[in-house]
Amino acid sequence: MLFDLALYTSLALLALGLAYKLGHWLTTSIGPDSRNYTPAQRLSASLKGLTRALRGRSLGPMMAALVLDGLFQRRSLGHSRWAWAAHMLIFWGMMGLIFLHALGPVLIPSFTATLNPWLFLRNLFGVMLLAGAVMAMWRRLRLPGLRRTTHWADRAALALLALLVLSGFALEGAKIISVHSFDSMIAEYGNLSEDNDRAALGQMWREHYGVVFPQGQVPAGLELMERGLEMHQDSCVDCHDAPQWAFASWPLSRLMAPMAAWLEAAQTALWLYYLHFLAAFAALAILPFSKFLHIFTGPLLLMIRVAVPREEMDPAARALVRAMELDVCTHCGACSVHCSVAEAVNHVPNLAVLPSEKLMALGHLARGKTDYGEMLDVMRQGAYMCTSCLRCTLLCPVGINLQDLWFAMKDDLEEAGYGPTTRTVAKKALETAAPSRSVAPFRVNNGEFQKDLGLSVQADTFRNCYRCATCSNSCPVVFSYEDPKKELDLLPHQIMHTLGLGLADEAMGARMTWYCLTCYRCQEACPQGVKVADVLYELRNLAASRQGQGESC
Amino acid sequence: MKYALFLGCKIPYYVPHYEIATRRVLGELGVELVDLEFPCCGYPMRHLYFRSYLLSAARGLALAESQDLNIATPCKCCFGALKRAQKFLADNPELLREINVELAAEGLSYSGKVVVKHILQVMHDDVGMAELQSRVKRPYELLRAAILYGCHAVRPSEVTHFDDPSNLHLIDDLVKVTGATPVTWAGRLSCCGAPVRERNEDLALATIRRRLSEAREAKADILVIACAYSQMQAEWAYSLAGPPPQRELIEGPVLYPQLLGLCMGLTAKDVALDRNTPNGEYLISFLRRD
Repeated sequence: MLFDLALYTSLALLALGLAYKLGHWLTTSIGPDSRNYTPAQRLSASLKGLTRALRGRSLGPMMAALVLDGLFQRRSLGHSRWAWAAHMLIFWGMMGLIFLHALGPVLIPSFTATLNPWLFLRNLFGVMLLAGAVMAMWRRLRLPGLRRTTHWADRAALALLALLVLSGFALEGAKIISVHSFDSMIAEYGNLSEDNDRAALGQMWREHYGVVFPQGQVPAGLELMERGLEMHQDSCVDCHDAPQWAFASWPLSRLMAPMAAWLEAAQTALWLYYLHFLAAFAALAILPFSKFLHIFTGPLLLMIRVAVPREEMDPAARALVRAMELDVCTHCGACSVHCSVAEAVNHVPNLAVLPSEKLMALGHLARGKTDYGEMLDVMRQGAYMCTSCLRCTLLCPVGINLQDLWFAMKDDLEEAGYGPTTRTVAKKALETAAPSRSVAPFRVNNGEFQKDLGLSVQADTFRNCYRCATCSNSCPVVFSYEDPKKELDLLPHQIMHTLGLGLADEAMGARMTWYCLTCYRCQEACPQGVKVADVLYELRNLAASRQGQGESC
Repeated sequence: MKYALFLGCKIPYYVPHYEIATRRVLGELGVELVDLEFPCCGYPMRHLYFRSYLLSAARGLALAESQDLNIATPCKCCFGALKRAQKFLADNPELLREINVELAAEGLSYSGKVVVKHILQVMHDDVGMAELQSRVKRPYELLRAAILYGCHAVRPSEVTHFDDPSNLHLIDDLVKVTGATPVTWAGRLSCCGAPVRERNEDLALATIRRRLSEAREAKADILVIACAYSQMQAEWAYSLAGPPPQRELIEGPVLYPQLLGLCMGLTAKDVALDRNTPNGEYLISFLRRD
């Protein structure tokens, strides 16, 4: 009763959750162009694209992707062989268990859970799943690259899998030793004719099947044993193989044996049964809102990506696919482990530099779950630290086109007024310098700031400047403007001199500092050995850190 | 001749033809390229995040060091950034120590012994001009080439040691060997505008357009490039320019390995000339007719 209720409730919640998610994919927009398409347009474009792909030449590659990338997770191998092994164990263990628990009894008429191969296979699949979950957890705890992107949800998902398997093994172990289970099997299948038949069979099951009877309940004796064997052959053996085949639950039952009476009194098997199926149904119910959703969305995306290249996709269908990709991510961390700029998080305290975290932030934003302005600032820094090297996209085991998402996200950010970080830092530095530029003479600083220019040992070479203006005369930026003094605020040699006076804001707030092409002509030409271009680099760094946009080392 | 290939971040997505041509031509020349999972050279981070730049560059250098390999890179900006980082670390032992503490977390360390070369240096110095000469099967005829030397390879010369700073000849030698004629032109040592594109798009575009029209004024047929960023800049300028009759730009940018590969007898497809913007297959018409 409770079982059926829980089953149907969880299935209903699963269906509702999936419908909710589909609604999300039809309405969430990533990238300004996505906003042009209504849910109906997205759905029809996607269905049209899918039919075209299935009818066209893409069917073969799609099936190949389903088998190689889906069933055998070929793409994970690019990340790590250990990650691949862990996920293969989890995936095939889970598929096996789902088959044995849900499909086997329906599809196979002779299916009996307590007979081999099913008895053995249930344990095999359970052990595979558990081993995979333990490996995955170990990786997440031990590898620094994975540890920093591991959230409670990742641990919870692995813990839930472990709970499912362990409660199953414990349940089976408790049933092996249980006299209550023994008696109910007799009631159902036994054919007791003589008074001590129960004792006879009990003796057989105690010796060979591991049932633990209370002291004195089942007397020993050779004659009884023979009778027990006979009954066992008649009534039991056709439906129940030796529990030793349950190679994980059996040793567990031996551990439980000393506590058998207490466990029996506490109805442990019953409670474990509740725990086991409720945990399974809870997992089913929350599936659409957990990383397990990738069981459905992953294979779908893996097939879509080989069917239609992203650039050729109908923009309405692309809007749907982009939104769906947020729900395909398993947060496996492969992208962040291999990210070209991952080291930056050592000094820039912003996890959104890492692709997996940036995607999460994007998801939060798309679901309207976060404080908009602050989040955008954080995401901007992550977005513009990305070098678009494509590695995360090539690597993603579920085939998310992260590159496309990052470009769309940058367009969204730009539209919301959050353009490139350097441009923003520059703008603010210019605003800071503006008031003092209009008054002459400049306010003279006490020289404090000169100490800040210490990133490279050569930065203070500006002291050697004798204002010959060779740098400014060789500068292609200066050359590019009709009235450079007006359009660049200060010329390179003036910036060097400004530094000599300790006027930090003026130097950082000159457009010249930000329009520098870093071509190093100035530095190469300087007769005094002033590292002009390097100094300008440092000024940009200094402005960023003064605005809280820089590094925290 | 064995190098770790430091492809950099821009080539895989933006300039895949550069990778195809580089691998093919260096392979033909007997240079063995090893692929390591290199991080970013740090160059794009240097504007705002100096330590991140240095750490990322040092990590790449340390990765090569861990495999006992030297680095060859097709990108001038990766080249410059790695060389600059080497100099920073050589000049500042305290910084080097701190960086090594960070690298130690993943079992890496950087001692400074890695040699960083641009692929053009590998061709010029390791393969050698005589060998290159012998490999050219069908030299170009009447092909006038404007060479863009590339700021971050050439300067600061005391850091990069790319070529003799008082008499730059390395790329001229490499172009001459193909039968093409290097032209004298204003933009030879100038900037392509890429570094400022994020902060000032107008200036970035004006800079590359100036280069392309300078090359045209010098009556060059092609612009020879050996940098991911410069190629991106040139292709960007072309994608914004009108169709051929209207645009005031020269025929197009060609990556040096493409130029060399084609006259070595490789096909235009082998060196991915069809993937250039504009399509680079016109180069075939300059090959000597047999």
